[in-house]
Amino acid sequence: MSEEKKTRQLATEAAGKIPKFVRGNLSATLRAKEEGKKVAYAFIADGQDEILRAMDIVPAWGESYSGICAAKRDAERFLQKAESNDFSRSLCTYATCNLGFDIWREELDGQMPPDAPWGGMARPDMIIGSAQQLCDPRFKWPQATQYYLKDVPVFIGGMYYPPWDPNTDHKQQEKLYVRYAKEELMALVRFCEKHTGKKMDWDRLSQIVELSDRTCDMFIDAYELRKAIPTPMDTGDAMNTMVPITFNLGTEEAYNFYKDLFDELKGKVDRGEGVVENERFRLIWAAGLPSWFALNDFQYFHNKGAVFPVEVTYRVCERTDRLDLPRTDDPLEHIAWRWVRYWTNWYEKARKRPGSLPKVERIIEYIEDYRCDGAVFHSAFSCRSWHAGIIQQAQVLTKVYGDIPILILEGDIVDISTYNEADTHNRINAFIELLEKSREKRG
Amino acid sequence: MNEEKSYSKRVEEEFKNYGKRVKELKASGKRVIGYLSPIVPVEIITASGAIPIRLKGDVYEAVTTANGYMETIVCPFVRNVFDSALKGKYGFLDGLVMPHLCDSMDRTADIWNYNLGLNYFHFLNVPHVTDEPSLDFFKEILSIFISSLERFLEREIREEDLRMAIEVHNRNRGAMRKLYELRKSEPPLINGVEMMKVLVATMGLPVGESISMVEGLIEEVSERKLISDGHKPRIMIIGDQIDYTSLSETIEDGGGIHVMDDISIGSKAYWADVEVDKDPLYAIAERYLRKLKLPTFVESSDTYSETVEKRFGYLKDFIEEFRVDGVILVTFRYCDPYGFEVPLIKGYIEDLGIPVLYMEDEYSASTIPRAKTRIEAFLEMLME
Ligand code: SF4
Ligand code: SF4
Repeated sequence: MSEEKKTRQLATEAAGKIPKFVRGNLSATLRAKEEGKKVAYAFIADGQDEILRAMDIVPAWGESYSGICAAKRDAERFLQKAESNDFSRSLCTYATCNLGFDIWREELDGQMPPDAPWGGMARPDMIIGSAQQLCDPRFKWPQATQYYLKDVPVFIGGMYYPPWDPNTDHKQQEKLYVRYAKEELMALVRFCEKHTGKKMDWDRLSQIVELSDRTCDMFIDAYELRKAIPTPMDTGDAMNTMVPITFNLGTEEAYNFYKDLFDELKGKVDRGEGVVENERFRLIWAAGLPSWFALNDFQYFHNKGAVFPVEVTYRVCERTDRLDLPRTDDPLEHIAWRWVRYWTNWYEKARKRPGSLPKVERIIEYIEDYRCDGAVFHSAFSCRSWHAGIIQQAQVLTKVYGDIPILILEGDIVDISTYNEADTHNRINAFIELLEKSREKRG
Repeated sequence: MNEEKSYSKRVEEEFKNYGKRVKELKASGKRVIGYLSPIVPVEIITASGAIPIRLKGDVYEAVTTANGYMETIVCPFVRNVFDSALKGKYGFLDGLVMPHLCDSMDRTADIWNYNLGLNYFHFLNVPHVTDEPSLDFFKEILSIFISSLERFLEREIREEDLRMAIEVHNRNRGAMRKLYELRKSEPPLINGVEMMKVLVATMGLPVGESISMVEGLIEEVSERKLISDGHKPRIMIIGDQIDYTSLSETIEDGGGIHVMDDISIGSKAYWADVEVDKDPLYAIAERYLRKLKLPTFVESSDTYSETVEKRFGYLKDFIEEFRVDGVILVTFRYCDPYGFEVPLIKGYIEDLGIPVLYMEDEYSASTIPRAKTRIEAFLEMLME
């Protein structure tokens, strides 16, 4: 209990601004009605947010809200509400926490459930899901929600990328995937037009897309300052600073946030300020969403002199020039290319190292660029999307790259019932010993 | 009588020694391509000259070897089959087609590919949406699949090969639907346990042999005499890959009768045909994307009630035609596609006045006793 009350120490001022961002996003959903705007339940990292922004639709992010409930350690009652409606505890807990919230709000005729964390989230005017290769809940969750919110229209679009196949050149298939993604994005535009009664302003969308590109570049530039030794920012902070790129893409606020973050980190690097005083080990958070209720564990790593200058999780874009995007004046096509090329970005490298995987190549690239000594994965039981395949990534990493110390933590994103703090700390202790031994061995 | 024995016996044999026949054919020089789930167009594999065999698990075999490679958060069916494959049960495969059915398949495809060391592995990127652009996209995805098979088998797949394969698979499905007809009577001419064995046995046979087995069985079963011992609760099972008989056994030992299914080795795989008067590739794409009733597909209409009718209206037909008294809805742990659907399906069926028993299962024999207690209580309730 005492642990709950401790506030995690943030290394950056930028991370400290995040609660305001998150609250702002939530209250925008509550304010929307007064402002005559439509609210849409939406899902992160699925290429659709810029269209919503251009149509003045206010996104309500279920994943964010479940994360908030989890961080406040107040998710259990929503999970139970979903469970009592026959949603298994083994399903994605972002979804079930949110469904529990929605079911409760419907039972109260639209009133917020009692003491809803941060005032709750507004009832949507539409739900915009995505049937794609990010995860099944991105389309099953909207369908499930509609059972309770029957009057709310649902759109689900397809966005795919060529699957990894060591024996196939994915470039031959890219155009097909881009064309399909573009058509599905167009279908979303038509859906939004129908339900807002407004026409898409294509010039505005183009400007927003251009702003997003700049935001992605600024985000990566800022994050790359973390290569410095000692690192000026770690993954614990990044789990906060991911908010603007993830939930506010296509807004000036997001761009300005990363510009400020860049300046702040640059200052720290120039002054030689690190996250911890004596940086002993540099680690990569190689995969897995975090346990939102246990972000303090990053502090535990810090206390041992271990920091995370880099993570794969929530690094949701790449510098656009590195993606070598074909030129186009069509903003939807641009979004589609950016989407496809982001996911296939490490395919070439993987093909060059027999036995490797794109996900592993990305980890290797970061290990080298950020000079990491070990890799930590988090396996969250309720999300197959990011967490099935972690064992393989660890095995392939060892096989193709070398014997690097690896820790696989197990838990969940929202469901605290699986978490054992003492056990987690013991495992971290053992991992630190492993890192020490590995360093001794290397001399 | 003798003949009846021979067909039923063959079903028993194929059920007990799954893949036996395919193994024999492989030994005689045939190529064998394994696949998972009913969303892989078997017509294409048949047209290539290879024999498709759908992989099944074994609920009586505990997952052991797979634990070192695949997380426990993956659907237990997928883990179980992967475990069987790692243990060499499918050593006769030349290759494997893994479809984009769900996260448990999509996110483990590389694990299968890298650890089984097969000569051929293809991930079939089936879309989930069923609109026009998705259909066009899927057609292209099928063309990519065809090219990759052609390269591997060093054999061209011609339009006429596809047409022939369509015709033969339609016949197979038609025969199976006729067999299902024989479950409509009271009591049914073929019980649930036997039917489950037929469903498993046929998916492990070359399609031609499946047709003769099912057609032969229809003849014998039609000659059976209906002996009624009173009304028994007629049960429909809904779920994904239920490729074991323990559920039906429990129902039928407990005084009920398993008369219909909406499972992926059963009616889900057999109800829809490929249209023969269209471009074959288009017709295949259309059948697999738009006619299969799987939770992996998103079909929407303008209103919620229209969407629900479009997606689940067929369940109402099944319930009426097979005179279903109760439904057992089974999902596997960690299965998001079916799991998120439970309140919806349950609500839809209960609104028709039909009680539903929902069970989350582990794809393991260890859960049979627990399921038995619940099923027996459900049957008792139906008999009251
Ligand atoms: S990515 Fe994982 S956590 Fe996020 S919605 Fe999908 S299943 Fe849930
Ligand atoms: S039961 Fe669910 S998770 Fe398992 S293979 Fe079928 S659809 Fe996928």
